Amino acid sequence: MASGQPATAHGLAARVMGHTASRTLVLFCGIALLLIAAGPYVLPTYMVNSLIRAFLYAAVALTVDILWGYTGILTFGQSAFFGIGAYAAGLIFTHAGFGPGYAALALVTGIAVAIIVAAVVGWLAFYHGASPLYGSVITLVLPIVVSQILYSGGNFTGSSSGLSGFESFDVSIEAWFWIAGSFLVVLTAGAWLFVRSDAGRILVAIRENEQRCEYVGINVSRVKILLLVVCAAIAAIAGYVFACVQMVVAPEYAGFVFGTELLIWVALGGRGTLIGPVIGTLVLDVSTSYLSGNLPFVWKLVIGFAFVVVIIALPQGLMPLIKGAARRVLGRSKTAAAAFVPGLEPAVEQPFAGLAGAGSRALVVREVRKQFGSLKALEGIDFEARRSELLSLVGPNGAGKTTLMRCIADGNERSGGTVLLNDHDILKLPPYDCVAFGVGRKFQTANVFETLTVAEALRIARTRLAPPSLWKREQTLALPHASMQVIRATGLDGQLGVEARHLSHGMKQALELAMVLALEPSVLLLDEPTAGLTKPERTLIGSILTDLARSHQLCILLVEHDLDFVREISSRVIVLHQGRILLDGTVAEVVESELVRTIYSGGGHAAAGAGA
Amino acid sequence: MSAASALEVKGVRSGYGEAPVLRDVSFDVRPGEIFALLGKNGMGKSTLLKSVMGFLPLHAGSVGMFGVNTTRLPPHKVARLDVAYTPQEQALFQDLTVEENLRLGLRDDRSFDLGLKRIGQFFPVLPTRLKQRAGTLSGGEQKMLVVARALMSRPKLMLIDEISEGLQPSVIDRLARVLRDERDESKVSILLIEQNVKFALSVADRYAVLKLGEIVDRGDIGSAEAERRITDQLSV
Amino acid sequence: MATLFDILTTAAIFYGVAAGLLIVFGVMKIINFAHGGLLTVGGYSALLITKLGLNPWWAVLFAFLIGFVCGMIIERLVMKPLYSRPLDAILATWGLGIIIGQVITLAFGREVQFVQSPVTGAIDLLGASYSEYRLLLVLVAIAIAIGLALLLNGTRLGLVTRAVIMNENLARGLGINSGLVRFATFSLGAGLASLAGALITPLSSVDPNMGVPWLINAFMLVMVSGVSLVSLAVACLVLGGAQVLVSSWGNPILGGLTIVVLAAVVLRLRPQGFSRG
Repeated sequence: MASGQPATAHGLAARVMGHTASRTLVLFCGIALLLIAAGPYVLPTYMVNSLIRAFLYAAVALTVDILWGYTGILTFGQSAFFGIGAYAAGLIFTHAGFGPGYAALALVTGIAVAIIVAAVVGWLAFYHGASPLYGSVITLVLPIVVSQILYSGGNFTGSSSGLSGFESFDVSIEAWFWIAGSFLVVLTAGAWLFVRSDAGRILVAIRENEQRCEYVGINVSRVKILLLVVCAAIAAIAGYVFACVQMVVAPEYAGFVFGTELLIWVALGGRGTLIGPVIGTLVLDVSTSYLSGNLPFVWKLVIGFAFVVVIIALPQGLMPLIKGAARRVLGRSKTAAAAFVPGLEPAVEQPFAGLAGAGSRALVVREVRKQFGSLKALEGIDFEARRSELLSLVGPNGAGKTTLMRCIADGNERSGGTVLLNDHDILKLPPYDCVAFGVGRKFQTANVFETLTVAEALRIARTRLAPPSLWKREQTLALPHASMQVIRATGLDGQLGVEARHLSHGMKQALELAMVLALEPSVLLLDEPTAGLTKPERTLIGSILTDLARSHQLCILLVEHDLDFVREISSRVIVLHQGRILLDGTVAEVVESELVRTIYSGGGHAAAGAGA
Repeated sequence: MSAASALEVKGVRSGYGEAPVLRDVSFDVRPGEIFALLGKNGMGKSTLLKSVMGFLPLHAGSVGMFGVNTTRLPPHKVARLDVAYTPQEQALFQDLTVEENLRLGLRDDRSFDLGLKRIGQFFPVLPTRLKQRAGTLSGGEQKMLVVARALMSRPKLMLIDEISEGLQPSVIDRLARVLRDERDESKVSILLIEQNVKFALSVADRYAVLKLGEIVDRGDIGSAEAERRITDQLSV
Repeated sequence: MATLFDILTTAAIFYGVAAGLLIVFGVMKIINFAHGGLLTVGGYSALLITKLGLNPWWAVLFAFLIGFVCGMIIERLVMKPLYSRPLDAILATWGLGIIIGQVITLAFGREVQFVQSPVTGAIDLLGASYSEYRLLLVLVAIAIAIGLALLLNGTRLGLVTRAVIMNENLARGLGINSGLVRFATFSLGAGLASLAGALITPLSSVDPNMGVPWLINAFMLVMVSGVSLVSLAVACLVLGGAQVLVSSWGNPILGGLTIVVLAAVVLRLRPQGFSRG
């Protein structure tokens, strides 16, 4: 960046985000703030009042979009936090009084209670292994519980009529309009920055493929809980302002119906677009307040109808349609803006980051067994592997190869036995903790993030070692040598801006391999890395793997069916049969073994009897 | 081949998502013959059966049965052409009884008693266990139940996916006998997907070898040379 | 004694309300949030019968038929496109519930109305005087349970449905048209919902939003029961009983939360809930 950069807001933003983005942001903020400044003078009073409420609802809708549209958490519960913020104000102003001290106390209390409740709900709903349905169930239960508690509060909470008539800030309607409006603009800008940032991409990654996130070392539960807590605080602030403006609070504001209304606004506006839900909320809420006088039930019917149609036929909401129409009207071409592509640079490698040091043995598997009910998938698995070893796992179907891989990468998988990674016992630790011990697992079917670009996927793989910025998009992406090698050799370096779903199958496999290597693992687990690849692609992968073992001293464990491939690159072969190790030796020993021949041609049981 | 084929697979290309698992597979099963498709794991055998049954859409090629083009038919319609499909995994309803599993092999209940008598000849133990939950049977008994269910409806074509896996030699022999007898008696056509070369060679009339999604060898069973060639292709 | 009857009748009522939702969830693995709306449809069918001056028992049949027809339409138009998107199905069916509520409001008005009860008065049983209608509902719930059991276990359609519930792909491979099974199951579930709505309205009243609290409770009961009608009965007794106890000895409003909160906790501790699996 040139040193003569003007010290303007635009200049600062440009340095942070790149010129196009900062221009958009400044433009948006400028126009929005101008409109808000002019609003009270141009619009009728009724609309000004409606818009104040709508601004605050839109702020909550933003949080719903972040949770649902971006991260994939279907939440009915943001209304509960709104209600908490509102009632914090209502209760304190009614029962204690009003003044600067009380105002501050109410705000802090509202936020604090919202944060605590969110933490509890998050712990309940997002535990490791929770199903998405269960998570949504909890977010559904929350507003019901909160509103029912408010209903049962007697005179203290005002029960079904709520609290009203309490004293609040002596501020004009115009001022409230500016306050609420600016709040929304600032929030939207902040959300936009976050969502585009490197850290914000993790949200989409979680929505697309939670499992892959866990296997690159991201503690998904913790991310979700943190997100919920922050969104809860924002919703509580919106609720607080609402109570101060309206000077009325009622249990409905914390309830399930309001929670679903938020979802409807987000769905209709366009989930995952930020601006869609904001505009959708503003338009729909103001329309409702105008039309509900005249045709209350017909209007709600129309909305309900539109909602169902959108969910079924237009899951992206109405925003893309509007955008498309606008584009046609304005005559602009349909080409999307070029995707952001960072420059590559070599990373400062952190071998064994966080560990005391390299273990004497890379991988130790001792008496590991795995049982599904009465079915013994693995029994008495016992072997060690060293660095620079390229060990292939072969065996007929159902022999337990993938199961063994799972047991090494996930502490919770095995039914018994011990697994040591670099001399660290993986105990019952989840995959993201095992990654910290130095293991990287590549799955059988290319397991990547479909709508993220190659560069974004690689950056997410670096999360553990290079925590991403919460608001910036770094101009460069640092990758360790092994990962860089794969990218260069397969030509992925020319496709950094391409979304993963547009890659060929072979390239997806390469991407996943590069992502796993970006973890700087010392133990690499590869499940059928050549599945679906063409002959030249196989040869390439083979040479990359041999080089990884030799030059980078990785311990590589490979599950393969292509036995020619195995023969060419392995230094050692373990044959699994019906959950047990049949043979553990060099390639020559295994190829020449009579025993192995027999099991492959079907004399299974006699062989097992002899070899066991 | 002509409309006389029990199953005709032409130029089939399919896979999961974009990854091509099958790359141009063509073969046919003649009426009244047992055809063995051999190959190791990951070579595409189960994918082929799923594509033939309609669970997996084809990227290219066509599938025909008894002259009917079944390429775009949903699985339940293919099954109604008197085709019995026994998948490799999850082939039984574990929580249903033996009797209920057998009944589900039929189009309607009326022919149950007749069908039961028939399969009782092949598997005498099954009629005595009608009320037992399928999941409580031993591995070998479960496989027998799967074949029995397939035979209940007197199918014209059977698609059998790795039935011999994990079975004792005696049970495998019995299965081989059942399949041969049924072919001789009812002229049923059978496509047998197998890794177990010995078993396949003991029942099949013709064979093909599938490797990395393509057919690399085919021919008639009968010569010792064929057996040696196949065993070589399938071993390490 | 009255408390015991309260528990039994409450459990019975919840069973009747939730049974339809359970069979739909079992077959389609989708939660039908329009269930509350269908309950309301049933309630208003009963209102119609009252207004027409007919014998209130006709409401039961009438409600079932209307619900069944609604179910057929909804399944083809809304559920079918969403087979692969269960979370979206929750939202779309919730939207449907809104539509139903608004249509009913436009047709019948928003105020609370009352339906004639087929049976009135109290009966003396085991030393306590208790509402005869409520006790009758226990018999109805048992009849529904037996009816469903017979249907599922004694008929070909039932067998085929159970097969689809357990393993849809295997069923399809055996020649079963699972799309038809889904259609039939959903319609039956909708009919049952409407039937339950008609049966519960004499206990209180009808209004366009009457279905919502029932929906939430039924939903949680189904979640905790897995796919078993037997564990649904257990859940209704245990959780319904808990609700009665909390309402009688504690706060009735918080009592309304009992099922919902307890179910959430049970699921956290044991994800398969009350079912065997």
